[in-house]
Amino acid sequence: MFHWLEKNPFFFSVGVFIVIAFAGIIEILPNFAEASRPVKGLKPYTVLQLAGKEVYKKDNCLSCHSQMIRPFKSETDRYGQYSLSGEYAYDRPFLWGSKRTGPDLHRVGNYRTTDWHENHMWDPKSVVPDSIMPAYKHHFTNIADIETAYAEAVTVKTVFNTPYDVEGGTKLGTWEEAQKMALEEAKLVTADMKNKDVKDAVESGNIPEIVALIAYLNRLK
Amino acid sequence: MNGLMIKALAFAAVLIIATLAVVNSMNIDLSDSINMITMIGAIAIAVLTAGVSVKYINQMKTDTASGELAEENWDGIGEYKNELPSGWAFSFLGTMIWGLWYWFIGYPLNAFSQIGQYNEEVLEYNAKFDSVYKNADEATLQAMGESLFLVKCAPCHGETGDGLSGKAHDFTTRMSKDQVLYVIANGSDQLGYPMGAMPAGMASGDDAEAIATFIAGGMKGEAPVAFAACTSCHGEDGKGMGGMAPNIAEYDDLIISKILEHGKKGKLGSMPAFKTMLTPVQIKSLSAYIKTLK
Repeated sequence: MFHWLEKNPFFFSVGVFIVIAFAGIIEILPNFAEASRPVKGLKPYTVLQLAGKEVYKKDNCLSCHSQMIRPFKSETDRYGQYSLSGEYAYDRPFLWGSKRTGPDLHRVGNYRTTDWHENHMWDPKSVVPDSIMPAYKHHFTNIADIETAYAEAVTVKTVFNTPYDVEGGTKLGTWEEAQKMALEEAKLVTADMKNKDVKDAVESGNIPEIVALIAYLNRLK
Repeated sequence: MNGLMIKALAFAAVLIIATLAVVNSMNIDLSDSINMITMIGAIAIAVLTAGVSVKYINQMKTDTASGELAEENWDGIGEYKNELPSGWAFSFLGTMIWGLWYWFIGYPLNAFSQIGQYNEEVLEYNAKFDSVYKNADEATLQAMGESLFLVKCAPCHGETGDGLSGKAHDFTTRMSKDQVLYVIANGSDQLGYPMGAMPAGMASGDDAEAIATFIAGGMKGEAPVAFAACTSCHGEDGKGMGGMAPNIAEYDDLIISKILEHGKKGKLGSMPAFKTMLTPVQIKSLSAYIKTLK
């Protein structure tokens, strides 16, 4: 019955592959498909948050901070609910990280505030005396790249069908609209900030990196 | 008994003697059952190696091909039709039975679950925590509160609770003058006390100044006349009339737990709610510790 298979090495290999992979296919794939769907209520990042995510990547926060709370009591006590894969559905790429020189940041928005981040980025030792984190004062003067963030949002909307501009999603709009919304969002952040230069910059229409970064960190919940 | 057999027996004997020599030279304690089993295993392997080699080498020497050939051949190499050896057949049946068990019971009901393991860990830990700390005395609570404070609160309020020069609330006093003035000017409705919202502008100008100085000074001495505006909710002594309104004279368990539950936005900035991150005992321990801060 299967003698022809024995004479056809290619199809024989295919058959062997299916037999060996079978358990994996039925055990892994359905779970994987289920778990990678966005969790309920998850919204794509706003343009300002994406710009903050770019700052996070650019200054390599990733190499000292993870964004992945593992299901262990010691971790959930410190950081909150363990992470679910569906929470990263709109992270392209996800920023799990694998090094914890500093603490995990996946839910930092739950227990730190805008003004704390402002103090901390300006001088980490002013709030955490033993901190070895460097100060990031250039975030207060560098202007965030809103244009690239917008381009990124448009790209994931077009290529991966990320739910921008749909019911229950995040509004993206045209470039002009997006600029205006990012600025409004930035003003909400600076309302809780004290640095005069940053406030003035936002008033005049430029968004410093610190504002975008704080918007992103506050979003991590 | 042919020459091959003799060679095989000699080989096995050499292996066995080597095994015994090693056991002897290393002073291995054979009363330990593991050592004994290991030595018996080594001897069995020597015997089996010799026996199996003899069997198959003999078979190769004497066997002639016979039996019915299978239909197909591969470049002239044929295959006899052989009965499936019974060992193989039973293993195959066993695999099928195990497969059914795994399909219907093993995988769906007994699969490892990381989250299940986590839930068990949490349940076990909570039970242990409750049994140890359910009726903790004040000193234990203060010690627990201190370590919690250092982990959860110190990043904003400072390791000594002094609020890091105005970055957050200072626990060494009840309220600063600026904070009192801010609340008088803006009112407050964040903590869910039975008395409800405090309206903005209950006092102003010199009256507000006098009240703020009095409260920030620890409510010592004669209360200013303007303080009458506060007493209907916070009480004559400022202690909040038994939980109806916030205690403005000192820290009590209620105000600490209300602020942890609701978070707070005030003169100095905003504090998130920590309700889901702390257990009731932990909240109690925090207020026990905060009351000791001077």
